[in-house]
Amino acid sequence: MLEVDLRADGPIPLAARFSVAAGELVALVGPSGSGKSTILRAIAGLARPSGGRVAAQGEVWFDADRGVFLPAHRRAVGMVFQSYALFPHMSARDNVAAAMGHVPRAARPAQAQALLAMVNLAGLEDRRPAQLSGGQQQRVAVARALARAPRALLMDEPFSAVDRATRERLYREIAELRARLTMPVALVTHDMDEAARLADRLVVLREGRTLQEGAPQAVLTRPASPEVARLIGVRNLFEATALAPDAEGFARLDWAGLTLETRARAAHGARVHWVIPDGYVALHRRDRPSRGEHENPVSGVVAEALTLGQTVQIALRPDHAPQLPLHFSLPLRVAQRNGVAPGVRAAVSLIAEGLHVMGGPGA
Amino acid sequence: MDWQALWLSLRLAFWTVALLLPLSIFLGRRLAYGAFRGKGLVEALVTLPLVLPPTVLGFYLLVAFSAQSPLGALWREMFGQPLAFSFQGLLLASLIVNIPFAVQPAQRAFEAIAPEVREAAACCGMGPLRRLWSVELPLAWPGVLTAMVLSFAHTLGEFGVVLMVGGAIPGETKTVAIAIYDRVQAFDGAAAAQMSLALLAISLGTIAFSFAMSRRVGRRLG
Amino acid sequence: MPLPAAPLRRALIAALAAFALAGPAAAQSPTPVIAAAADLQFALAEIAAAYTAETGETVRLTFGSTGNFARQIRAGAPFEVYMAADEAFVAALHRDGFTRDAGDLYALGRVALMLPQGSPLEMDGTLADLAAALADGRLNRFAIANPEHAPYGMRAQEALQSAGIWEAIQPKLVLGENVSQAAQFALSGGAEGGIIALSLALAPTIAAQGTHALIPESMHSPLRQRMVLLRDASPAAARFYAYLSGETARATLRRYGFLPPGAAM
Repeated sequence: MLEVDLRADGPIPLAARFSVAAGELVALVGPSGSGKSTILRAIAGLARPSGGRVAAQGEVWFDADRGVFLPAHRRAVGMVFQSYALFPHMSARDNVAAAMGHVPRAARPAQAQALLAMVNLAGLEDRRPAQLSGGQQQRVAVARALARAPRALLMDEPFSAVDRATRERLYREIAELRARLTMPVALVTHDMDEAARLADRLVVLREGRTLQEGAPQAVLTRPASPEVARLIGVRNLFEATALAPDAEGFARLDWAGLTLETRARAAHGARVHWVIPDGYVALHRRDRPSRGEHENPVSGVVAEALTLGQTVQIALRPDHAPQLPLHFSLPLRVAQRNGVAPGVRAAVSLIAEGLHVMGGPGA
Repeated sequence: MDWQALWLSLRLAFWTVALLLPLSIFLGRRLAYGAFRGKGLVEALVTLPLVLPPTVLGFYLLVAFSAQSPLGALWREMFGQPLAFSFQGLLLASLIVNIPFAVQPAQRAFEAIAPEVREAAACCGMGPLRRLWSVELPLAWPGVLTAMVLSFAHTLGEFGVVLMVGGAIPGETKTVAIAIYDRVQAFDGAAAAQMSLALLAISLGTIAFSFAMSRRVGRRLG
Repeated sequence: MPLPAAPLRRALIAALAAFALAGPAAAQSPTPVIAAAADLQFALAEIAAAYTAETGETVRLTFGSTGNFARQIRAGAPFEVYMAADEAFVAALHRDGFTRDAGDLYALGRVALMLPQGSPLEMDGTLADLAAALADGRLNRFAIANPEHAPYGMRAQEALQSAGIWEAIQPKLVLGENVSQAAQFALSGGAEGGIIALSLALAPTIAAQGTHALIPESMHSPLRQRMVLLRDASPAAARFYAYLSGETARATLRRYGFLPPGAAM
C-alpha cells in the first residue's frame, strides 16, 4: 500500500491525497502544470514538499510533522523517467545491475539478464543505450526500476516519447507484466485514453489538487464537477435548470427549453451542469425501426461529420438550441447507411441512464 | 636550453595539477549541482585569478608571504626558510592562479550531465559518493582532464606572478619562463628562442587536446 | 547535494602533506646562490666557470638590479653572496644586520655611451652631440637603467644632468629594469642609443652589435662596487667569496673594464 499526502504552497502548489494498493495501477492525470510530475518526484524523494506524509508498505519515507525525510537513494522506489535517463556509459545489463545494490555482486549479472528477458530484451544485454531504439530503452528503464525490488513503482509519462505502434505494444507488455507485479504502481500521463486503458483507478489533478479519484469508467461517465469533465475531455457538457422531479423522485431538467428525463436527483430550481458520454447518445436509425419509445429525443441538423479511420465523429445542432451542439460517434458503415452528412437532418436519443448531473455551476 | 629550469617548470606544473585535482572534482561538482547561498560569490572568486593582473596577485602574495605576515612567519618558524623565493611559495602562488582553469571546465562537464540521469542514479539506490564514482565521473572525466591539462600548460607559462614572488633562483624558482626572460637580457637569443619554441609547442598541443576533449563531452551527452 | 565532510577533509590533509613534501628539500641548499648586479652578467659567468674548473665546486648565479636584490634580501631571499654595483646598498644592509660584515670593494665601475649600428648619433662620451641630437630631432628614444633602484641608472642620470639635458631628455627616455635590460633596449633598434655599464659594452656579444664611448668620471659620482657575504652564508659560499678577491677573478674583471678598487679613492 502506498499512501500519499502532499502539501506545498508554491511555486508549484500541492494538495494531493490518494493511496495505491499493492498490485494496483493508479494513473495521475491532468493538464500540464498540474503537478503530476512533482507528486511523483516527491514520492520518489527527489523533491521535498513543505507538508504531508508518504509511506510505502508501512515504511515512512516522508513525514513533515515528525521531520522525517528519506532521500531518494534510501527509498526502495523504482522510477521510470520520461526521458528514460539510462546511464549512457553502461550496457543495458549494467544499467539494470546498477540498481541491485542489495544483491550480492556475483548474482547481479544473472539477475539483470533475467529481468531484461522478462521485458523481452533477451540478446540485447550488451548494447549501450545509444544502440537501442526508443521502445527498447523504455524497457531497459522499466527493468532497471524493477531491479531495485521497489516498494512502489513510479512511471513519469513513460510512453510519451514513443511512436504509436510501439506504444500499443508496450501497453500490452505492461499489462502482461502487471500480473507479476506485487507492488503499487503510480503512472503519470496526460493522455486520457492511455490512463483509461492501463489504470485500475484514476486520480484527476489540477494545479496540484486532487479533484476526483475512481475507476476510469466511473470518472469518465460520472465526473465530479464541470471542471473534471473539461479536464477529462467530455464534450457534452451543458447547463440546465432542475424542474420538479418526476413520480419516482428523479430530476427533470430544462435544457434551453427542452425537457430531459434523468435518473439523477437535483433540488427543484437549482442551476446544474450535466454531461452525457458519447456512447449514450443514440442515433434514430433509418435502417432499423425504433423499438419502444425514444428517451429524451433531440432533433437537429448535422453540423460536422469527421471520418477518423472507421469512426465518424458527429456534431449535431439541436433545433431548440443550435448553439449547443451534441457530440457523438458512429461506426463508418452505420453513418453511411443512414446518410449522415453535414446539412442533413437527424435525431438522437439521450439515454437517461448515461445522463450525469453535477451540482451547481462551477461546482 | 636551460634543462634545470625546464625540469623545475615541469615539477611545478605536476604538483600544481596533483593538488588541484581534488579541488577540481569536488568544487566543480558542488558548483554544478549545489544551489547554496553565496554560490555567486564563490564563482566570482574562482574566476577572479583569471582577470586579475598577475602583478596584482603577485603583490598580494608577496605581502602574504613576507616574514611580517602571519603565514610567512609561521612558515619560517616551521621550515626555517622564507615562503617567498622558495619552490613551495611558487607552488602556492601557482595553485591560486590556476583555480579557474582547474574548476571551470570540470564544472561545465558536470553541468552537462542531464539532471534526470543523476536522479535515476539516486533512485537506483546510489548515495552521493557512489553517484560520483559510478555515474558522474565516468561521464564528466573529459572535462576534468581538460581542466588538468589547461592548468599544467598554464603553469608552464606563468611569468608575472613567479617573477614577483620567486626571485629567479636557479633550481628553486627559476622556471623556464623566467629563464627565457633571463636569456634575452643576457643577449643569448639562441637559448631564448629554443625555450620559447618548446613552450609554444606545448601550448598548441594543449589547445588541440582540450578542443578534442570538449567535443567528446558534447557527443556523449547530447 | 551536500559535500561529504570526511572525504573532503582527508583530501585537504593529503594536499597539505604533499605540499610540504613537494620540491627540493633541506633549508641549506648545497649550491650557494650569488645575487649579482646586472653589469656583472658576462664577467661573473666567466669567473664562475673558472672557479668550477679549478675547484670542481659550482655556484648558482642570478642577475638583476642592485636595488631589487637589496629589497629581496630584506624580504628573506636565500642569497648567500651579494655583489652590488653601489656600496651604499651594502652599507644599509650591514647596518640592518643582514650581512656578516661590511664586505669588500671589488671594483670601480664606469659608464659608457652605447650606440647601435646605424645610429644617427655620434660617438661622443661628453654627451655634447647627444644634446645637439635632442635639439635637432635626431633623437627619439634613449635607454638607461631605472635610476630608482639601479646604480648604473643613477649614474646615467647624473651624467645627463652634468650635460645639462636631464630635463629635456625626460620624454625620450626608456628605462630598463636593470642595466642589462637597458643595454637590450639600446641595441634592439627601438632606441638611438643609451648609457650602459662599460663591462657590458665590452662583452663580445654586445660589442659586436654597436660602438661605445667612455663617459668621463667627472660627469658622475663614482661607482664603488662592493660585495658582501650575507648573514647565513655557507662555507661553500665563503670559499667562492674568497676566490672573487683572487688574481684570476681580478684579471677577468679588469678585462671587462672594471678598475681595481685601489685605483681611485
